Parts: sequence; C-alpha cells; structure tokens
Amino acid sequence: MAAIFAVLGSIESSAFSTWLRESPSLLAFPLMLSLHAIGMGLAAGINGAIALRILGVAPGVPLGGMRPFLRVMWAGFWMNAASGVALLIAYPTKALTNPDFYLKLTFIALALVTVRALDRRVFRAPQALDAVPTPPGARVRRLAVASLTCWAGAIIAGRLLAYTYTQLLASWR
Amino acid sequence: MTLVTWQSWLVRTFARGTLAAAFMRTHWGWPAAESVHFIGLSLLFGTIVVWDLRLLGVGRRIPFAALHALLRWTGIGFALSAGSGVMFLMTEPTEYVYNPSFHFKMACLAIAGLNAAAFYLTGYGRAVTSGTRDVAPRAAKLFAVISLLAWLGVIVFGRLLTFYRPAWCEATPATFVARCVPSLNQQ
Repeated sequence: MAAIFAVLGSIESSAFSTWLRESPSLLAFPLMLSLHAIGMGLAAGINGAIALRILGVAPGVPLGGMRPFLRVMWAGFWMNAASGVALLIAYPTKALTNPDFYLKLTFIALALVTVRALDRRVFRAPQALDAVPTPPGARVRRLAVASLTCWAGAIIAGRLLAYTYTQLLASWR
Repeated sequence: MTLVTWQSWLVRTFARGTLAAAFMRTHWGWPAAESVHFIGLSLLFGTIVVWDLRLLGVGRRIPFAALHALLRWTGIGFALSAGSGVMFLMTEPTEYVYNPSFHFKMACLAIAGLNAAAFYLTGYGRAVTSGTRDVAPRAAKLFAVISLLAWLGVIVFGRLLTFYRPAWCEATPATFVARCVPSLNQQ
C-alpha cells in the first residue's frame, strides 16, 4: 500500500502534474476540463443521437447515412481519453482511491462495447443504405437502450467524482 | 437602469426560488442537478453537431427533412440544461451574476439562439428542409459554423465558471452589492 502511494506521490510531484494543478494558465487545468466537456458532448451526444434514431426518432434517416458521424463520435472519445489522462496525472490519488472512478471507467468500457456492436450490426449491415429504412430489430433496440444507459451512467459517475473522493493527494495522509 | 441595479435585481429575483434552493442544499441536490445539466448538454450538443455538420456536408446520404426531426431532442436537451441551470442560479445567484465567465457564456447562448432564429426567419430553414437537394446553400453553412462556435463557447465558458467565481463574501442577496462590491463601498 505504501509503495502505491509512493508511486502516486511521485506522479504528483512531477513537473507536468504540478503545472496542471497549480499553474494559473488557462492552458493547464481549465483547458483539460473544457476539452473533457466538449469530448463528452461529442462522444455521449452523437452516440445518443444514433441511439435515438434506432429507437424511432427521425425514422426517415437511413442509418447507414449516419456512419460518418461515428467518426466524429470517436474523435470526441479520443479527445476525452487524452484530457482524462491529463486530469488523472494532475490528481492520481484523488481518482484512484475513489471507487466511483472505477464505476465510471466500467460504464465507459460497456458503452464502447455497445458502440462497436451497433457499428457491426447496424452500420455495416447490407441493408443500412436502403432508401426506405427497415426498422431496427429488438436486439439492436436493446443495444441502443444499453448505450444510452451506459453514457448516462458514465456522466453521472463522472460528475459525482467531485463529491465522493476521500483523499486529494498522496501526501495528505 | 444601471448595470449594478440590473445585477442586484437579477440576484434578488433568482434568490426568490427558495424551494429550489432548499432542494439544491440537500446532500445530493447539487450533484444531481449537475448530472442533469451534463446529460442535457450531451443531448443538445450531440444532436446540434449532427445537424450542423450535415449542413456542412457530412453524411450526404441523409435527407435534410428526415434529419430535422432529430432536432426535437436538441430542445429536450436544452430544457434539461436550462432547467438545472436555473436551479444553480436560484441557489447561488451571486456566484453567477457577478462571474465574468457566466457573462460570456450567456452571450454565446444568446448568439446561438439568435443564429437559430435567423436560420428559420430568413427562410433558409424551410429552403433546406423542404428542398430536394442534398447540398445546403452557402449561407446555410455560415449558420452552421456560427452555431458550432457559439455552442462550443457555451460549453467552454460554462466549464471556466469555477475559475472566475467572485471572492467569497458573507452577505444575503439583498445586501450583496452594498457589502461585497468594493467600488461601491468606497463611494
């Protein structure tokens, strides 16, 4: 246990971690938080738009036509992975000692599984570009519901991180 | 009406939402409202990005008229975010009314709203959704760019709020200006 906190402490005392936490520059913590919110809007939001389409919103939209937006969704996801790693480097102890952080990561992992499954079953399916779209089957609809649930769960768990942590820095023992 | 009286009127008006403030001060009230605010943000931004990028030429196989139905969920996302946002204001009005980042956020929100209204009032909305062309006119693309930039501004200035909070000052909404705005105290 002491060895784990020694590692976390050395991350926190690194130049990059200290700069992210303590710099008054808008390019430090504020930029990372902003990128994380934009990436969330793109990843969860576009995924949400696709899931809503599968569940019957805007039924005239051919699902295959929405595939280019999947790329934008992934761009948002990678934006969040990068800014998330930066936020983690700034406060590793705060996140890693909080069970809620692992709950958030689990929701994100499950959400990504649903995105990949939707890509395979819906967007690459041969009937995806039909002029008169066929309504998605029950299995695909369940995937869409799971996707919406996981992203909502990831957002809520992420928000609660600020309220559920028990230790801010490794040195605070 | 001067800026100071306008701001103190805003603070007093929002502070009347005592029921909302009581809920927000319960243990999970504030984080619950924040969660709703962020879920609303995702719905709003995700659907508007799809629409604006479609105007800019992404996803050309999607007919504009069919995609337009998705924008109802932009409205639902906005309602979630605006509703929870007003809850924050009714609980800590001075934290927002005197926060420069909040002023920029509201300016971006106003630009996004006026831009959306102009898109329909100028007839471009109808031209795009009732036409059969799969490419939007150039002017409609300008609306899309302004919309994307304005919503990005709303998100960024929203996230920056916490770094520009007015310094803590012990006062009720009614006495805030008199006690906590230094330039007035000196007069």
